[in-house]
Amino acid sequence: MATGILVWSEQPALALELLGQARRLADARGAEVTLCTCGEVAPAELEAFAAHGADVVATSAECSADAARCAAALGASISQAQPGLVLIGASKLGMDVAPRVAERNGAAYAAWAVDVGYDETSGGVTASCMLYAGTGLATYRFQREMTVLTAAPGAFEADQRPGRVARLETLTPGEKSSVVEVLSMRAKASDGARLEEAKAVVDIGRGVKEADDLAQSRVLAGLLEGQLGCSRPVSSDRDWLPEWLGLSGAKIKPELCLTLGISGAIQHIVGIRDSRVVVAVNNDEDAAIFTQADIGVVADLTEFVPVLIERLKARGARPDWV
Amino acid sequence: MKILALVKYSLDAAEIKVNPTTGALRMAGVPERFGDLDKGAVELAVRLKEASDAVVEVLCFGPPAASKATKDLLAMGADEATVVDDPYSGSADAAIAARVLAAAIDKRGPFDLIICGFAGDDGYSYQTGPRLAERLHLPLVSYVSAATIDDGVLTADRDLEDGVQSVRVPLPAIVSVAEEAFLPRRVTLLQAMKAQKMPNNAWDIEGDLGLSRETLDAVAGYSVVAESGIVVDRKQRVLKGLELAEMADLLIDALVDENVLALKGSA
Repeated sequence: MATGILVWSEQPALALELLGQARRLADARGAEVTLCTCGEVAPAELEAFAAHGADVVATSAECSADAARCAAALGASISQAQPGLVLIGASKLGMDVAPRVAERNGAAYAAWAVDVGYDETSGGVTASCMLYAGTGLATYRFQREMTVLTAAPGAFEADQRPGRVARLETLTPGEKSSVVEVLSMRAKASDGARLEEAKAVVDIGRGVKEADDLAQSRVLAGLLEGQLGCSRPVSSDRDWLPEWLGLSGAKIKPELCLTLGISGAIQHIVGIRDSRVVVAVNNDEDAAIFTQADIGVVADLTEFVPVLIERLKARGARPDWV
Repeated sequence: MKILALVKYSLDAAEIKVNPTTGALRMAGVPERFGDLDKGAVELAVRLKEASDAVVEVLCFGPPAASKATKDLLAMGADEATVVDDPYSGSADAAIAARVLAAAIDKRGPFDLIICGFAGDDGYSYQTGPRLAERLHLPLVSYVSAATIDDGVLTADRDLEDGVQSVRVPLPAIVSVAEEAFLPRRVTLLQAMKAQKMPNNAWDIEGDLGLSRETLDAVAGYSVVAESGIVVDRKQRVLKGLELAEMADLLIDALVDENVLALKGSA
């Protein structure tokens, strides 16, 4: 069984998280970890990648957001490194690239890994992956020379050990240019903050209906030194926030997730259930969110949130993690 | 022009519950249906047909029972449906499903445009579009929220994390539709009645596609060791029926106990 591990994500923070997991697996087996990237890698970057766990940094000259071309670049790296395991970040691009890599290399593939290991007897890759929109977990035993897995942001932890060294390799993928022509890109409004890194998140759902409620939610998030997140319907229907929490969006693990008007559908819960403490405010006592929360408040959020803000200020409450 | 919509007859994931004591998934009685994502693929196909006089086919790798539900898709405006009987009852590795779909597409095609959901409505593993792009050597335009065809060229908007990307690609191509982008139309009683008489084929992998269970088994990349539900232990303390300020104070107290908040004057 090939032991090398290849890591790729176009999202830098996610790539480092996958690199952390790859390093832990590789150390137990004396294997080599290759990080795939693109563009010029400056000496300081190479040093940082090495500290985060890479033995080899393989870079292709041209960066592309085209899935076929990314799969080709990974293919070139796979030919060199002959890995047994390929870890890909579960962004929209990554989810497009991973099945292509599996098809091109006759590899096994499973999505949404939350744990990876090796079978003690066969030495083959095993993984736990989210199932049925995150309701369950399946444990798979893979039976090909190579296994491809995708993992969402926050599934694994980055790790740094300064002083490690990595060597730089250059990739020359031989993929033709894409027939898909990009005409334009309209950026979504974003404050640039990464919800995955927030210590507190105020998570608003369909129950937050008015602009005033949104404003109050922002004030609350500010008091908690946190950020505002939302469910998919809020993001798509109201155009307030570009990014949503859930299976198809961001998955967070803050100290506190305070939900306002969230009903508790599994597709959304998947995004917030790794929070240390979950608070739910909802006027429907039977809402599923109350079974997923540590503390529930049955109240009309339009009335309750201003009172909560007032009491937080009056009592001088501040986050305890600062 | 021929357009194919790929649909999955999927479990209603919202109805899958977890036994809180054993952590087992309760799969009994979970309904199967074509979800909104799959119907969204059909909706886009029918909209493009209305704009360009195309023929729309629907293809499903699923249980024979799906043939009843494909009538709803015919009523939406598709012209012919085919269900390939899934000998794995929905549990097959997506690698197998991609091979079966590719074989059925070869037999029913060629198609100018193949449309699917960006993910299956139950597994959410995002595989069919990219796998078929590789197997059929076609360009894939994924996460599509708007699409038009003009003179054999598809122009589409892609709903990405950080923005909406507009792209153009000459047909043939594959499109995967984004969540909630193409809400399926309601059908009239007349359309539903007409759909009863439209071609609705029942195929099997051996007789119709020349595939064998053994060759497909060999494609599987993994075996399933275990499946379980995810149970997150939450304290589930509920505050209700009190004055708002009292509940706010109790909530703040609880968050202090959880070391989430500190109060003025405390260390």
